[in-house]
Amino acid sequence: MTIPPEKQNLTHRLLAFEAAADKTSEPVESASLRVYEKLRLSLCALAGVAAFQSIAFRALTQAKSGAPGLWAVQIAADGSLQGLGEFDPQHDEFEPQLGSGKEQVADGGIILIDHILDLLLIFLGEAITINLLRNTWPGASFDDCNTENGRKS
Amino acid sequence: MNTHGKVTINQLPTGVPGLDEIVGGGLPEFSFNIIAGAPGSGKTTLAHQFVFANATPERPALYFTVLGESAIKMLRYQQQYTFFDPAKLPDSIRFINLSQVVLEQDFGAVLEAITKEVKDANPAVVVVDSFRTMVRKPQSDMELQTFIQRLALFLASWQATTFLIGEYAEDELRDNPIFTVADGLFWMSQTVERNSIVRKLQIIKLRGQDSVPGLHTFRITDAGVQAFSRTFGLTARKRNPPSGRRLSFGVPELDKMLGGGVREGDSALIAGSSGTGKSVLATQFIAEGVRQGEPGIVAVFEERPEAYAERATSLGLDLETPQKDGKLTILYLRPLDLSVDETMHSILDAVQKIGAKRLVIDSLAGFEMALSPGFRADFRESLYRMIFALTGIGVTILSTVEVDESFTEFPFSTYSISFLCDDIIRLRYVSIDGQLRKIMVVIKMRGGNHAKDIREYEITSKGVVILGKRLTNYQGLISGIPVRSDRRDSTEEPSLDTGIEHKI
Repeated sequence: MTIPPEKQNLTHRLLAFEAAADKTSEPVESASLRVYEKLRLSLCALAGVAAFQSIAFRALTQAKSGAPGLWAVQIAADGSLQGLGEFDPQHDEFEPQLGSGKEQVADGGIILIDHILDLLLIFLGEAITINLLRNTWPGASFDDCNTENGRKS
Repeated sequence: MNTHGKVTINQLPTGVPGLDEIVGGGLPEFSFNIIAGAPGSGKTTLAHQFVFANATPERPALYFTVLGESAIKMLRYQQQYTFFDPAKLPDSIRFINLSQVVLEQDFGAVLEAITKEVKDANPAVVVVDSFRTMVRKPQSDMELQTFIQRLALFLASWQATTFLIGEYAEDELRDNPIFTVADGLFWMSQTVERNSIVRKLQIIKLRGQDSVPGLHTFRITDAGVQAFSRTFGLTARKRNPPSGRRLSFGVPELDKMLGGGVREGDSALIAGSSGTGKSVLATQFIAEGVRQGEPGIVAVFEERPEAYAERATSLGLDLETPQKDGKLTILYLRPLDLSVDETMHSILDAVQKIGAKRLVIDSLAGFEMALSPGFRADFRESLYRMIFALTGIGVTILSTVEVDESFTEFPFSTYSISFLCDDIIRLRYVSIDGQLRKIMVVIKMRGGNHAKDIREYEITSKGVVILGKRLTNYQGLISGIPVRSDRRDSTEEPSLDTGIEHKI
């Protein structure tokens, strides 16, 4: 499944905000993990662990088809990610065009968040999703966000 | 504090159209309420309306979800309602899921979790949805009641108005210890009656408030729950004293028969069989009102407003222009599962919107057919409430009713609703000289003189036209098969009776 550019922009904005908030030069996968964790906590508070876990599981399944770096990733009972960072040597060996293992993991994290946001937009619509993100990242600006989701907002 | 030293209980808007009137002005602030009912009866939607109507960033609403409907799905569906303002999330309205606590821990932990959130947020409104899920946990009645008691006390102390939402069957309402703690108990039900869904709301109790007793119908539309009070929201209004003013039909001879016209604020009935001109007379009545600057409403059930206006045009009556000018509204009410209360609400809205003085209901048979089958049994009682309410605010009602034409009887109405009407005009066919002709007679005028004459009339391109003088050379006219007598047509003016009411 392809994620529309507007939603990818949303993901990149969150990642950029997390990267900027963290003054250290941490790798991208750390930023995506932090974004994931904040989404998890925020959504668990809103909808419960079971609801978040279902969404995360669905997003992961979708993301795996386009992100080999997620091959070992699983969703734990509390909705947290397990296995992120474990490289699939086969992919490194046979699909060098996808980049190194670390790059694949970083890309995978981004794709996973893309899919989570996509599901949120599908289920909750743009207005509530953006409000949720605004509440989770109070310092980030989402004023110019327009995912053209087409659903009621 | 008021002048008598009694505590003042503020009333909060429910956010549900019609419900404020039913609960006696608004929901008591800091009250602890339960919304009970079957799944799908609108409990969550009602709670959302209250939340959206009252939550502010300073005093937000906390909406605790417990198992049952997932918050994500709830938000997905609830945002389809027009009252749902996404901008209120999360500053004014916060959804918090308690499923894990409920599943894994005891009531003490649940109370602790709620307490923590309430202390942090200082909410004006707290909702627990679904509370019933918690009740299903294995525990003693005493534990449950203690939990409810402590929750109610805590939330009231924190000045929160609370709703617990639960799925209950009707028989569970009796002797339920939980309900004794609640200040307010809202019961929402829906039943299938033949092919129609009938939704009803009852305020079983509401401490400190003079709520309207009984079952009130409600509807769920894209605007959410809309309630229709049994008293149509008119209980608090002062009834207008009779003005004594006469309203013209626009048919001079008929006005004379009525002693000058229909008395303002009366409920008049035109009864007759098909084709006798009931709707024509009703149209003339409304058109004459508009001509005299009295806005009017026509509630039609058997034809579309366009067709109604078009037929008026063929009589030389312009109903298009007054509609455009806001002086006339033609309401088409026929969704087939209406309650009288909903119909009344539509009519009242229209009456208030244009300040209507005249209302035509064309016809009562169509009205009855438009009602949900379950309401037809109560048609007479509902009609009584409607007429009483509308005439009380000075609206003059003219209803039409079709009666079976009989050549041996002279019935006024198949609905036996004559007692609801102040004035009755009867139209009927008679067989005279090999022709089927039409006669008209004023049967009754409460509190006023009217002619006793039986008059022949015709329906022309100018509407109903009363012909000549009263028919004196026939006997047995009202039987429909008169016998010619030796007397000639009278040349007298219409004679008025002494004002003694006819017993119908």
